[in-house]
Amino acid sequence: MAFLRSRLFWIAAAVVVVAALLPFWVSIYLLSVLTAAYYFGVFAMAWDLLFGFAGEVNFGPTFLIGLGAYTAAILNSTAGLPIPVCVVAGALAAVAGGILLAVPALRLRGPYFGLVTLVAVLLLQNFVVIFASVTGGEIGMTVPDVLSIDASVNYWYALAFLVVCAALLFGLSRSAVGLILQASGQDAVEAAALGFNVTKHKVAAFCVSALFSGTAGAMLIFYMGTASVDTVVDIAIGVQIIIAAVLGGRRTILGAALGAVFLIVANEFLRPLGQLNTFVVAAIALAVILFFPEGLLGYALHRGERE
Amino acid sequence: MSGAVRLQVGELAKRFGGVVAVKNMSFDLKAGEIVGLIGPNGSGKSTVMSLIMGIARANSGTIKLDGVDISGWPAHRIARSGVSIVFQHSRPLQRQTVLENVKLALLPDSLLRLATEASVGERAREIAERVGLGGVLHRHPWTLPFADLRRMELAKAVARDPKVVLIDEPFAGLTPTEIKVFSDLIRTLRDEGRAVLLVDHSVKSVAALADRVIAMYLGERIAEGSADEVMQNETVRRVYIGGKIEAVERKSAGAGQAPTLLQLDAVEVFYGKTKALDRVDLRVRQDEFVSIVGLNGAGKTTLFNAISGLVPYRGAIRFGERDLRSQTAASIARGGVVHCPETRELFVHMSVRENLDLGGGHLSKSERQRQLDWVFDLFPILEQRQAQAARTLSGGEQQMLALGRALMMQPKLLILDEPTLGLAPVILGQLSKAIERLRQERSLTLLLAEQNVTFALPHSDRVYVLDHGRITWQGDPVRFAEEMSTGYL
Amino acid sequence: MRAIQILVDGFAISSLYSLAAVGFTLIFGVSGVLNLAHGGIMVVAALVGWLAAGELGLGTYAGTLVGVLAGLATAYATYLVVVRPIQRSRAIRPEETEIFVLTGTLLWGIMIQVGMAYLFTDNPVTIRPLISGVVSIFGVRTPANEILIAVLAWAVIGLLWLLVNRTRTGKALLGASMNPRGVTLLGYELTQLYLVAWGIYGVLAGIAGVLLASFLGVSTTNAGQLTASAFSIVVLGGLGSVSGSLIAAYVVGYLETATAYLIAPTLRPIPSLILLVLVVYVRPQGFLGRR
Repeated sequence: MAFLRSRLFWIAAAVVVVAALLPFWVSIYLLSVLTAAYYFGVFAMAWDLLFGFAGEVNFGPTFLIGLGAYTAAILNSTAGLPIPVCVVAGALAAVAGGILLAVPALRLRGPYFGLVTLVAVLLLQNFVVIFASVTGGEIGMTVPDVLSIDASVNYWYALAFLVVCAALLFGLSRSAVGLILQASGQDAVEAAALGFNVTKHKVAAFCVSALFSGTAGAMLIFYMGTASVDTVVDIAIGVQIIIAAVLGGRRTILGAALGAVFLIVANEFLRPLGQLNTFVVAAIALAVILFFPEGLLGYALHRGERE
Repeated sequence: MSGAVRLQVGELAKRFGGVVAVKNMSFDLKAGEIVGLIGPNGSGKSTVMSLIMGIARANSGTIKLDGVDISGWPAHRIARSGVSIVFQHSRPLQRQTVLENVKLALLPDSLLRLATEASVGERAREIAERVGLGGVLHRHPWTLPFADLRRMELAKAVARDPKVVLIDEPFAGLTPTEIKVFSDLIRTLRDEGRAVLLVDHSVKSVAALADRVIAMYLGERIAEGSADEVMQNETVRRVYIGGKIEAVERKSAGAGQAPTLLQLDAVEVFYGKTKALDRVDLRVRQDEFVSIVGLNGAGKTTLFNAISGLVPYRGAIRFGERDLRSQTAASIARGGVVHCPETRELFVHMSVRENLDLGGGHLSKSERQRQLDWVFDLFPILEQRQAQAARTLSGGEQQMLALGRALMMQPKLLILDEPTLGLAPVILGQLSKAIERLRQERSLTLLLAEQNVTFALPHSDRVYVLDHGRITWQGDPVRFAEEMSTGYL
Repeated sequence: MRAIQILVDGFAISSLYSLAAVGFTLIFGVSGVLNLAHGGIMVVAALVGWLAAGELGLGTYAGTLVGVLAGLATAYATYLVVVRPIQRSRAIRPEETEIFVLTGTLLWGIMIQVGMAYLFTDNPVTIRPLISGVVSIFGVRTPANEILIAVLAWAVIGLLWLLVNRTRTGKALLGASMNPRGVTLLGYELTQLYLVAWGIYGVLAGIAGVLLASFLGVSTTNAGQLTASAFSIVVLGGLGSVSGSLIAAYVVGYLETATAYLIAPTLRPIPSLILLVLVVYVRPQGFLGRR
């Protein structure tokens, strides 16, 4: 385990260094694609913490992301608060939403929990549309402040954010609390018999997931300069997040980030195909599920351990 | 020897829907003693354990730990108060190593603890070594043999220094040597002053270990005392083996000449690591009634599941000329090997009539009607209740329905798994008569699995004894009565 | 006047909803699968039906039939290519099969939606009414086609009821939804029963898709919404309960129609969403669910 981690650590460090140097060689277009992909990576990692560890399927991660994004956007455009304050506010809003969702939802079994998460997204979506005067409705809204106008600077912000989140989430997953979370997700009865309050830990996991999702959502807004249902609330985005995490490998955290980058880049790469790019990406993801259910990273890591 | 009263269970009762699992159960558990709670399947012993641990909630009654009423507390709180449980089936975290599994048991229930202190790792190592896992600390559970997984369960339970240890079926699946090692470990627990409750279906296995034995049946206590006292107790004997074992000489016409209908050769079944059946050889001739007797966990159900094609097996199973391995489970059933399982598998939301009709689904309409008339004649109560949902029937009626439904399939070989389980004695009489009629009115071969030897013997031409997955005895009922009546329990 | 309009329109749309929902709940009850490609199957049926009736010149009736067959084929493709391989896969742990099937059908649904849009069009298509003319019900002028659709939907549901309750296969299917092992022990092959179930489902979804195209028109962009509606109705009614789905379909259908007429068309989905939230929190098993 320790050995694996250090090998992983060096590979990851190398990847980060290469990534940091990309702006010197690569086009602005590709940089912007990667920037979006990095934020997406944080969405996916936050989802993996909840599913891969706490064993809870969140079908509506965009509920938390959207809450964070729109709170930050509205505060910035109506009250003119500076970016850091808005981002923090967005994060807190997402956590509040997460608790509101998790506490009753965790009492439900099986598919019903997933249903509640899905319904939450639909509600938020409708909410945004109804209160169009504040939120800009289906068209969306713009925010006066942005992180930067320079593509390279935006890229580095995104990369740094991704690396920090990855380090925190990965560290959490390997910590004592992470161990308890895994137990809660794999075998709630045994975890309780060992003295752990499973509900408490799952709600906490939800809050952590919400914290990262909300922050990333807010940051994304200040990168793009706009907020709309299509980019941060739509169920389709949630689906892509789930696909990214499953593609990359559940319970690896880092795999989710990899999956996200792969997905976004593949989407762009296939753009010349027109509408068909979604088809191809979905087909590839389906193939991965059918033939490599452990995901790309999961498969690579466990190849040595297979019985 | 034993000290203060640690656990006091008072008038505990629990029902699941219409089924009463535990009815007015009271007992004490003292520090420094080992108590064996025994009973057949359906007696409520496992439910009592779940209630103590807080996994299920009692309908009424109290559970006191050192004088504090813990009934109604959530499981994790009871665990933190000093109660540990070793479940019947091992529950390791597959993705973690042995050491990490044990470490988990040592962690406090805190949201904020990120790093584990070095001392936790050390303690985990100590505990693992104490139960004999020192050599496999960094291995993953799926690489370990069965006995080591059980050791890990024990390690987890002991890690939190519990006052009360609950162990469910401590020796299931272990070899005699392993049983000895485990017994020693459990004795150490007692000697450390803990209160140990062992739950098992067999008095014999806990006899050597327990200071005191409490026997349960149909949710209540029927006997208490030393292991010997309980084994000799009239009520206990009646409940386990149905009373005195008497054999009736069966007049089986030309049994030696009838062709072999079912033959098993060297059949083995594995569940993961556990060997559930070990080189079983069996033969049933046409028109014979054969009984397989053995306690819970002996492997009777596994044997029947193998014959029916529901679990994979090694070895050969032949029905007549055919090798059953090449057939699907449904086609085996259609071919005349009808299995009426222990769990009955009724369609609970359908009516009695619908259940029976589905059983007769492969027959023509007129044949089905004739068969139905016969089944109603055999079990008049089913005709009375034919429009009722199966779920609303009593236990005995459900068993009759399951049997009736199996008979609708016009079986050549009927496999009946523990029909008397959980049934009141008066129903047993009716079932017994029904089986006798089956013998006389139809050309039917029967393979019966039973714990209740008194029920099985009068209907048997031959008897096999199955113990821990092996056939340990075979012969005719008279010999069985002579040789096995003392050593059976 | 308004009230009768709501009653009539609501009835028609509810009947269509019920047809779509019953199929969805049937496949969940028997096969244990929440098919997120449900809307996709309906869309295929609608598009192929439109194509056959119009472009290929087969006429409305033949075109409708071809559309239903296309729905059937797509349902089988969903089962054999996506669902069954995942259920049988040894690489996936049994507890995780459900989420993988869900994600798999979701992806498949997306593939169908995008594929159909690419191959044909993403504009709404309609199939010409099966019968023309206008009928007056209590003073409200209603297209005869709308009445026919409601009647057809009920006829199909009636046939389904007969199938499940009066035929041997139907009862075996019902048994399989309660206890798969029990059905096996009685000599019925589960693999065959599942194929029959998916076939029935395909026909139901196909008919629903074609009728919807005839009534309101269907576009590939509707696929997700159709799945979501069927899903909500089935949850409201109770997962696995056919009668529950029927009742819920009418509740939702009428709620939506009433909202559209009395409040605003854009707020159509809101009341049923709120109802869904309430039900999930207060009574998660739905009106009549038993699982």
